Amino acid sequence: MDKKIILRRIRHSRFMIVGAVVLVFILALSLLAPVVCQFDPEASSIAERLLPPEWLSHGMAGHILGTDELGRDVFTRLLYGARISIMIAVAVCCSAAVLGTALGLTAGYFGKKVDMVIMRAMEVIQAIPDIVLAICVLSLLGPSTLNLIIVLLIGRTPMFCRLARNNTLVYRNAEFVKASRSMGAGRAHIIFTQILPNITTPLIVQLSQAFGSNIMIESSLSFLGLGIQQPQPSWGNMIAAGRKFLATDPWVCFAPGVALMLIVLAFNFLGDGLRDVLDPKRT
Amino acid sequence: MENLLEIKNLRVVYKTERATGQALNGMSITLKPGESLGLVGEAGAGKTTTALSILNLLPRAGHILEGEVLFHGKNVLKMSKKELQNMRGHQISMIFQNPLTSLNPVFTVGEQIEMVLRHHLHMKPKQAEERAKELLESVGIPAYRLHEYPVQFSGGMRQRVGIAAGIACNPELLIADEPTTALDVTIQAQILELMKLLQEQHKTSLLMITHNLGIISELCENVAVMYAGRVIEYGSVEEVFAHPSHPYTRGLLGALPDMEKNQERLTSIPGTVADAQNLPEGCRFHPRCEHCMEQCRSKQPYPIALNHRHMVECFMYEGGDGQ
Repeated sequence: MDKKIILRRIRHSRFMIVGAVVLVFILALSLLAPVVCQFDPEASSIAERLLPPEWLSHGMAGHILGTDELGRDVFTRLLYGARISIMIAVAVCCSAAVLGTALGLTAGYFGKKVDMVIMRAMEVIQAIPDIVLAICVLSLLGPSTLNLIIVLLIGRTPMFCRLARNNTLVYRNAEFVKASRSMGAGRAHIIFTQILPNITTPLIVQLSQAFGSNIMIESSLSFLGLGIQQPQPSWGNMIAAGRKFLATDPWVCFAPGVALMLIVLAFNFLGDGLRDVLDPKRT
Repeated sequence: MENLLEIKNLRVVYKTERATGQALNGMSITLKPGESLGLVGEAGAGKTTTALSILNLLPRAGHILEGEVLFHGKNVLKMSKKELQNMRGHQISMIFQNPLTSLNPVFTVGEQIEMVLRHHLHMKPKQAEERAKELLESVGIPAYRLHEYPVQFSGGMRQRVGIAAGIACNPELLIADEPTTALDVTIQAQILELMKLLQEQHKTSLLMITHNLGIISELCENVAVMYAGRVIEYGSVEEVFAHPSHPYTRGLLGALPDMEKNQERLTSIPGTVADAQNLPEGCRFHPRCEHCMEQCRSKQPYPIALNHRHMVECFMYEGGDGQ
């Protein structure tokens, strides 16, 4: 599609701009965490436990969002937690997108038995709820970042695979595919050059929404104690730790909760925005 | 002169779960270098199946039972994948019926023509772009439109792009599968003019598939009339159009409106096209034929030469008119 049209649509899509700005903000803060923060995210200091937020009254030197039950700075932990969540989300979603698309293209193009085997396997995975699958595997293999990534990757792949496969079916028998075959194109050329560029738009939209839901699931697992382990910060285990103090010191829970809500919302806005912007049928 | 293309007694069936359709039943044609042959027949007569067989590109359901397709004396049906891919687009190329769907919407027209050039002639990107510009100019599209996408072109323009890609490697044989069916009449004429011109310039052989008899008389030297998967009449265009001999060909020509006569109604051929899943015994055309004889019901007629430029498959000419 024409770049000019896409740029114009982006300018007119408020959702996408809001989503993108929020994401860039969160991403920049978390990447700059070592520069921005004065505190160690994992070092406890019992004397300073459960201090209420000081906001910006002491500038960056104060406990902007207060401290938790071990006296660790909540803001610092929030930013370091974001790093690990985003890193996992990027690793999982990108590899799931690549793997799912490859499987989907294979299933859709070759059809018949190949399609049967791949799609039935995907259905088996989808029949098990993500969380249940993760609980099973992580309690067997033990919680570690790598295991977490593997589990989430298994859970994320089917939706990319289905999407890629269904769109491949649409284009497999398109006349331009027949035409390029009659011009001497081989199988690899047809799959990767003729079909793939036609099915990327829905995959990009799916990818952006998968980021959001992936951060959500990763936080849920950390909340349940199966994901990122204390003292390493993660939004999920921060909420889990803070829930005992919800009535008396709510900031310990609220800060990661609000952050989680914001980032998921931002990714969904971006996804919706992308869908509209990249819609080839829009006039 | 050596034949460029020779199809011998080709039999193709389409097998689906429910039924078997006999698409080609002993199809034979020959094409000499530089010759233009029109293949005419109703829908379902096997025209497109013939074209796809030449490129060995039948869909999965299609099975070749017997016969051979010889291109330069080499059997296309027995070629390796590599040989086929080198032949397609390079020595034989095809122009498709619907220009609106035969170009990939995500690439510019230039990129699509360049792909062919780079694949077959191993051109460098710059070189390919130059050649693509020349090709576009030669089909009457200004070169600056090279970087535009197919959606920015009209149907007629896209068919010109299709033709440009088809002739990119100077193929020896160009197969045109109803290239003007999806276009309106004025554009049809332009596209036909263009094809005629290019064919004369490049000395390419042309296999023109159509159901439009006007196109055949305009563009071709020879014509093969197909019915139910067989060539039932073959000859030079003047000869066949002046003396149509098979009752089916006569019916086809009779169904055209005549400017000179004051006709109330057009004549039509009674009945419907033979059902490929349930072909009649003997001559496939006999249930619709007004001259049907006893032997037509049971025996398949064989080719009878009326003169050296005219062949017909009909028992009416047995012994008598022939040589």
